[in-house]
Amino acid sequence: MCGIVGYIGFRSAADVIVEGLQKLEYRGYDSFGVATSNPHLAVYKCEGKISEKFEKARELHGSIGVGHTRWATHGVPSDRNAHPHLDCTGRIAVVHNGIIENYSALTRELKERGHTFLSETDTEVVAHLIEEAYDGDLRAAVAQAITHLKGSYALLVTAEGHEEIVAARDSSPLVLGIGDQELFAASDVTPLIGYTERVVYLDDGDLATLDREGWHVYHHGTPVKRAIEHVDWDVETVRKGGFPHYMLKEIFEQPKVFYDTFHGITPESLPERYRRPSEITVVACGSSYHAGLVFKYLCESTCRIPVRAELGSEFKYFTPPLKGIVMVITQSGETADTLAALKKAKAYNCPTLAITNVLGSTVTRIADHTLYMRAGPEISVAATKSFVAQLAVLMQLVNLMSPKSGLSGSLERANSAIDEVLLQDIGRAVEICRPAEHLFYVGRGLFYPIALEGALKMKEISYIHAEGYAAGELKHGPFALLSEETPVVALCSPGDTYSIMLSNIKEMKARKAPIIGIGARGDRELIDIVDVFLPIPESHELVQLIATSVLLQQLAYQTAVALGRDVDQPRNLAKSVTVE
Amino acid sequence: MQAVILAAGEGTRLRPLTRSRPKALVPVANTPILKYVIDALLANGIREIIVVVGYRKEHVIRYLTESDLPVRVVVQENQLGTGHALRCAEPYLHDRFLLLAGDNYIDAASIARIKGERNAVLVTDHPNPTNFGVVVARDGLVREIKEKPDTPTGFIVSTGVYALDRSFFRYTVGQEIPDALQAMIRDGGRVVPVQAVDWQDAVNPWDLLEMNTKLLPRIDAKRAGTISRSSKLYGLIRIGKGTEIGPNTYIHGPVVIGEDCKIGPNCVILPNTSIGSRVTIDPLSYVAHSLVMDDVVIGSHSRIIDAVVGEACRLADHTATWTAGAVLEREGRFQKASFGAVLGDRVRSAPFTILKNCIVGNDVTIEAGNTTVTGVIPDDAVVI
Repeated sequence: MCGIVGYIGFRSAADVIVEGLQKLEYRGYDSFGVATSNPHLAVYKCEGKISEKFEKARELHGSIGVGHTRWATHGVPSDRNAHPHLDCTGRIAVVHNGIIENYSALTRELKERGHTFLSETDTEVVAHLIEEAYDGDLRAAVAQAITHLKGSYALLVTAEGHEEIVAARDSSPLVLGIGDQELFAASDVTPLIGYTERVVYLDDGDLATLDREGWHVYHHGTPVKRAIEHVDWDVETVRKGGFPHYMLKEIFEQPKVFYDTFHGITPESLPERYRRPSEITVVACGSSYHAGLVFKYLCESTCRIPVRAELGSEFKYFTPPLKGIVMVITQSGETADTLAALKKAKAYNCPTLAITNVLGSTVTRIADHTLYMRAGPEISVAATKSFVAQLAVLMQLVNLMSPKSGLSGSLERANSAIDEVLLQDIGRAVEICRPAEHLFYVGRGLFYPIALEGALKMKEISYIHAEGYAAGELKHGPFALLSEETPVVALCSPGDTYSIMLSNIKEMKARKAPIIGIGARGDRELIDIVDVFLPIPESHELVQLIATSVLLQQLAYQTAVALGRDVDQPRNLAKSVTVE
Repeated sequence: MQAVILAAGEGTRLRPLTRSRPKALVPVANTPILKYVIDALLANGIREIIVVVGYRKEHVIRYLTESDLPVRVVVQENQLGTGHALRCAEPYLHDRFLLLAGDNYIDAASIARIKGERNAVLVTDHPNPTNFGVVVARDGLVREIKEKPDTPTGFIVSTGVYALDRSFFRYTVGQEIPDALQAMIRDGGRVVPVQAVDWQDAVNPWDLLEMNTKLLPRIDAKRAGTISRSSKLYGLIRIGKGTEIGPNTYIHGPVVIGEDCKIGPNCVILPNTSIGSRVTIDPLSYVAHSLVMDDVVIGSHSRIIDAVVGEACRLADHTATWTAGAVLEREGRFQKASFGAVLGDRVRSAPFTILKNCIVGNDVTIEAGNTTVTGVIPDDAVVI
């Protein structure tokens, strides 16, 4: 997903576009660019978030322009690959949202005909195609160019010497905003809000021209009338698409995220030298660290390779003796502590592997090799889908290191297990957590890191003090805190530690702590001893682990909502921690 | 023009298929019913669409967000009837609007007929009027709507598609939509009946098979994925990307197959079959006239005919359906219908299970092999 904005009117186009792109940041934020025509074309492109680096873009002059905020699909985010893209003459500027499926064939043909390509994107072909068809009539040239395209696109085109913007769409969203003496075009209505409430939705196959005189729409070449609609939406409602919070939206995206990420990592994604390391050191912070701990348990038992999980902030100053590969996990790819640790590992000459969600982020440029999660932009501060995506990458990694483990088959359908968990009514569990001042999360083995992550989610967004423990550790201290006012969330899935978990729960119960038990559906024994039972599907241990973490996200989310917390922007926290 | 689509109700008569999704999201020819309604409106240039969600609202919102459809979502927190659902959208309505049910198929031509009217109801002939609101019209005006009458006086029924304006809200307090319309007519309101072109409703889960058959011929023939050279494909077939069709598989359209499926080798898929995404059909299986939802696994040597198979069902090898017509008791009503099987979501069956004219609830496990399952099996049951 990317976001595009176009403006023609009496204001400074750059100002309107920069502001519009910031509102579209939820569609992508790895690089951006603006082009204005004044009457000469001026372009500013930049890698990074528009909300942080917009100053220079606003200096462009002119009252006509187009802009783009990118979420890279073809070509890493860089100044060069950022839109707008220009033709060979530098007179035609194009911004594009969508995917041109036949771009490699078109690129080849265009190169043969002497065109020079400056980027690795699919979009640049459009600029060159328009250049070939251009004979003074921009609309005709665009109409001609799009006949060659296969795939999805929403395009905005402007050219030197033209007081107009040409827009075209097929299978990607595009709306026009009709103001007083000014016109807008954008991926959705958010950039228009505050300027106009009158919008025109374009259809697939539509081409529109916006100029000083007005706007016209053509459908496959024939002029057509499109009705003006009235919108009175606010920005946040549009972006969340009806969900009350980004966090809930992202929680519900997880079945797809897990499936896409797990299947997105193939044997080709992992070079041979990472397959049988003598030792693995995982470095990460926050939720990513918990994912790293899951990996430690899983990899050590399945691949028999020693794994050490380290916190980024500690690793930098207290680096352990390193052997084998160093693997860093960071959603944003910009986490300062993790980057520092990675640099240190490189200084020690270790092969490095990064796992991140953002194509071309800083971590990808430092690490020797990168594996990507396919979570899409994550807006909520509390990590949900990125955690599940990290688990998907790490589980696939273990599968590739130890192909005989049969993990692939067991995990292929984890997406339906997540979907199943999302159907559950957890109201009674929320009722227990809501009034609590302290909560304990306990689990053993693979479920210990999940308990840590569940507790982290709870404290992050509900501000209830929650701690995760390995169940056996309770007796070494925390047991003293148990009372009827300290509910315990116990993760008790079938497996090696099931019976010992059961007796731990009974001990906690004897201290009168209310227990929320999470276990396999139909587990009669567990149902009888806990106060609230939350079932997860009976299936492979790892599928249960994923299902449990999704259930714990829901528990944290619904508790926070019941307490009236600001779920998406919890106090004192930032999405990615780019300072030490 | 504005339109309000009601997608807040569960659609209980379609149980067990509505445990994980409202009826509006039930896929027919691999497209949720709601999407057909939105498409029909978009085709008529109606862009201000409000969807009222309630039951399993996150799933509806997720679907709408993923498809990037230009609609506004309004939440009905408690399911207090259709009149209340419409009133949830009231703050956003300006003057005239269309009101539609999100769980009935409607085509664009019908919308075109009614969109110009001020107060109108879209009607159609139906052989079983007792399931619907029977419309009594005289002199070109609707005189009365009798909701689900025991002894119907005619075969003209309301499709649940209305053209209305804001004055209608006077009648909606505490009322269902048909009752409110009835009150408006009694008050002297002029309501015109407009004949629908194509409208379909699946009242019972097995009706989905007929709806699937009717809607399948409208799919775009587009074949992505990997199709073995030795497989044979005839007729109208759509195959999604990432799907693998193994050697010696025979497919006769109209058939639609979603993304990332694995089918074959040596399978037979016969007409009027929809197969969702990420479905696996093991070798030597045979599927015909069926609706198979996402993430289903059908074991080898199976024979699935006249069946609706819910999401993430796992049927072991040698599963067979047996088409028969017996009298079934569902929610206190006795009905006779001929079909193979209706399986809820996540049903698991042991090898050599025979499903004979049965409705199997969600999360049912059929543990014993060699069993013939008939009748209605409740949710979460274990068949031993």
